[in-house]
Amino acid sequence: MEMDRESGKLEQIVSQFRSKILHVILDSRVPSLHRQQQESLSLSRVRKTDKWFNLVLGDRPPALENLNFSLRNLLDPMVIDIILIRHGSCSSSVDNLYAPSAAAAGPSTETVIERWVVQYDCPRVFATPSGADAAVFYKKIYKKCILLLRSLYSQMRLLPAYRICRQLSLLSQTYNFDLVYKVSSFSHPFSREEEDGMKEYSFTPVEALPGCLCVSVTYRATLSDFNLEPLVSLPPKIITDYVGSPTTDPMRSFPSSKTGAHATSFPSTGLRPPSSAPFQRPHSWSSGFHRGFPPTKTQSLAGSPPAYCTSRKPYDITSPPTDLYGNRIQNHRVSTLQQATAYDEYKLSPPFSTSASPSTPTYLSGANPLLTRHCSETAPVTIPLTGRSTRYLSSNSSDPNRHSLPPLSPRSSKHDASSQESPSGIRSYRKIEGLRAGESPSGLSNLYSAPKVVRDSKDDSGRFSGLLSSSGSPRIGFSRSSSRLSFQDDIDDCEFSCPFDVDDVDVSDSSSRNTESKRASEFTAQSNLVGKKSQDAAVGILVHMLRTAPPLRQDSSCYSTHSLKTEYDGGAGVASGFFLPRKTADALEELNSYREMKDLLLSKSATQAVRKEGKK
Amino acid sequence: MNCEVCQLEELKVEHFEIREVLRCILHTIVFHRALGLLRPKDVDLELFEITYVQCGDVELEKKIDEKIDHFISWVEKHPNKKSQLCLSFYEVKSKQPSWFTNKTERLYWEQWYANLNVTQHPKHHSSKTHHTKVVVDPGESATEERSSRRAMVEASLREVLFQIIKFVNEKKDHLPPISEGVIYFPYETTIPSSSYSAFGMDMIKRMLHSGHPTMLS
Repeated sequence: MEMDRESGKLEQIVSQFRSKILHVILDSRVPSLHRQQQESLSLSRVRKTDKWFNLVLGDRPPALENLNFSLRNLLDPMVIDIILIRHGSCSSSVDNLYAPSAAAAGPSTETVIERWVVQYDCPRVFATPSGADAAVFYKKIYKKCILLLRSLYSQMRLLPAYRICRQLSLLSQTYNFDLVYKVSSFSHPFSREEEDGMKEYSFTPVEALPGCLCVSVTYRATLSDFNLEPLVSLPPKIITDYVGSPTTDPMRSFPSSKTGAHATSFPSTGLRPPSSAPFQRPHSWSSGFHRGFPPTKTQSLAGSPPAYCTSRKPYDITSPPTDLYGNRIQNHRVSTLQQATAYDEYKLSPPFSTSASPSTPTYLSGANPLLTRHCSETAPVTIPLTGRSTRYLSSNSSDPNRHSLPPLSPRSSKHDASSQESPSGIRSYRKIEGLRAGESPSGLSNLYSAPKVVRDSKDDSGRFSGLLSSSGSPRIGFSRSSSRLSFQDDIDDCEFSCPFDVDDVDVSDSSSRNTESKRASEFTAQSNLVGKKSQDAAVGILVHMLRTAPPLRQDSSCYSTHSLKTEYDGGAGVASGFFLPRKTADALEELNSYREMKDLLLSKSATQAVRKEGKK
Repeated sequence: MNCEVCQLEELKVEHFEIREVLRCILHTIVFHRALGLLRPKDVDLELFEITYVQCGDVELEKKIDEKIDHFISWVEKHPNKKSQLCLSFYEVKSKQPSWFTNKTERLYWEQWYANLNVTQHPKHHSSKTHHTKVVVDPGESATEERSSRRAMVEASLREVLFQIIKFVNEKKDHLPPISEGVIYFPYETTIPSSSYSAFGMDMIKRMLHSGHPTMLS
């Protein structure tokens, strides 16, 4: 009994040690994670997992849990390859960057630039210490693990790969390379060519049972041979056929311009397939040029740390070391069993498959969506407004009516409260929809519990954030929910300055008719008063009318130009109840009518001014 | 408990580089010896492309900066001299108080010596020189020289950091136990400027050169 308890302690130390190492490595080699880590480290809360080895690292990447699961056999080595992907030389023309196919980017080459190996070495069998000796023994091991982690943390920042990770984590530029990682329990040996440019360093092993815990790294001493450079920035281009709001009907056709370019509206929901029209130009709001993951505010990876919860739950992480020698060790095996059922359903990006044994490599990427964009749809990204992110923190995420947009993906819609989709733009995060599950208030306790069914993770390499499913992770979604809701907020409440980018009218026939009649009558009254106002006021009125005008095209209702023309007759115009589908020609005609009205008003005011002067 | 000593490789730095270099070295050492709960903070050097890690403690940062200021002022008073900064970790032990001794004593268990060779700024050619030689485009060569020198210092500093990591990894058994709630082991920094070793070496050199009879065997 006591032996089991002792071995359980050691197993826990080793397991947490491996998790921590993986966390340190991924945080400093995966650009998107690195960005988040820097942000999350500034937050003051320290969670229980942070206290392991006295090193606060911030939120654990959601992928970590599944990776830990896949490598749960502690005797198996854990091999982490950091792979540099260089995109083939291609023209830096705008067209190539718009091209959806990977072939346009040229062939990519992959090079392992770092290999970290964590394994037991020199396995031996000897008696497990017990009693007071055991306590001293475990403290010693633990202290050495702390020291090793400290030096690992520093070392990560001194190796060449750190610099390029930093470059990639900055969103200001795109590059002709990317960093991905692979975690597995075996590794293909390097070829002689590969070994030539590599150095090796081994940290001093930590004596533990049943052997010594060894951490070593084989790394490229220099990356200057790889010709890593930023991509040519896009030349500025004036959008002549700007279509306005992301919620505009994506299937709408536009008149072709002289250049032949056609605007294509990207569905914000991602439900509709891309238009069959040739890929011409993404809209200005599309996420086509983001690298890694879009800005962290919208990012639903491990963002802000969860609320610190001191209550103990069945699958709670075991207390940190000071409590380690008490008798409160949680049994992680129960949670891992649940993970087993969930894990088979989870599909990582290739080459990983569901039938994988624990030794199957897990190939994941913190990649630039330029790599994977052709495989997935992009979506418009709304521009978040400041000051709104915390407005709806406690909110109505469970209220489906709140969303004016349909869910991002059909699979995600299977979740109820747990998979509230982010509105509009964050299309690339549909992988991360699983993360938003689990807005449960239990906070920390369920944080690393067995994830439930992982669903929305099938596609998209590089979205390891999608590994975490479901409702198992409550407060990881804390900041994501707030940012997600802030987007909802933005869509609903903010006033856009552009007159054509508001599409917040979702009215039925009757309501639009009332609107038209009101508008028509308003116009009549206004036309009588305009003569007394200045020209500026007339223009202002006109602008206001244009702004509040309903969209050019509506599904079930629309204007009729006849209603407007009656105004010219001077009668009390009443909008006719006759609604026709609108076309561009109608819109142009309406615009012309507005112009005529404006001229009329101006002429009237001018004549009235002349008359007044004449009377004087 | 034995006292482990680590002599770091000597760095040739210019005066304006002292602060950055010492900050990098001292914080790296302290980070590896701060075994309490801490939140690491990555800091980028401005003069070099190196990122080192601090403990994220503002007070610690101030103390280290004070020590560095003290060192810099010493260097200014003793130009053209190789200088050392010693960072020592100790344990406080209580002992029997007596008339001449304190109740506590410090038992040093680790000492780090950062060796700096502070060089003067190279003199630039001026228009008032008496030399008749025409210097062709001194600006570019000076820039190249500066950048190559900077690269050398950066590489050396990186080697020093690797040296620290290696030492921390290899020597672990001499560390005292970690106290509950304590983040840092007690430490002190000294400038062994008038150390016996430095003074003694100077004396021996002079005697050898002067050929003092006592030195001849």
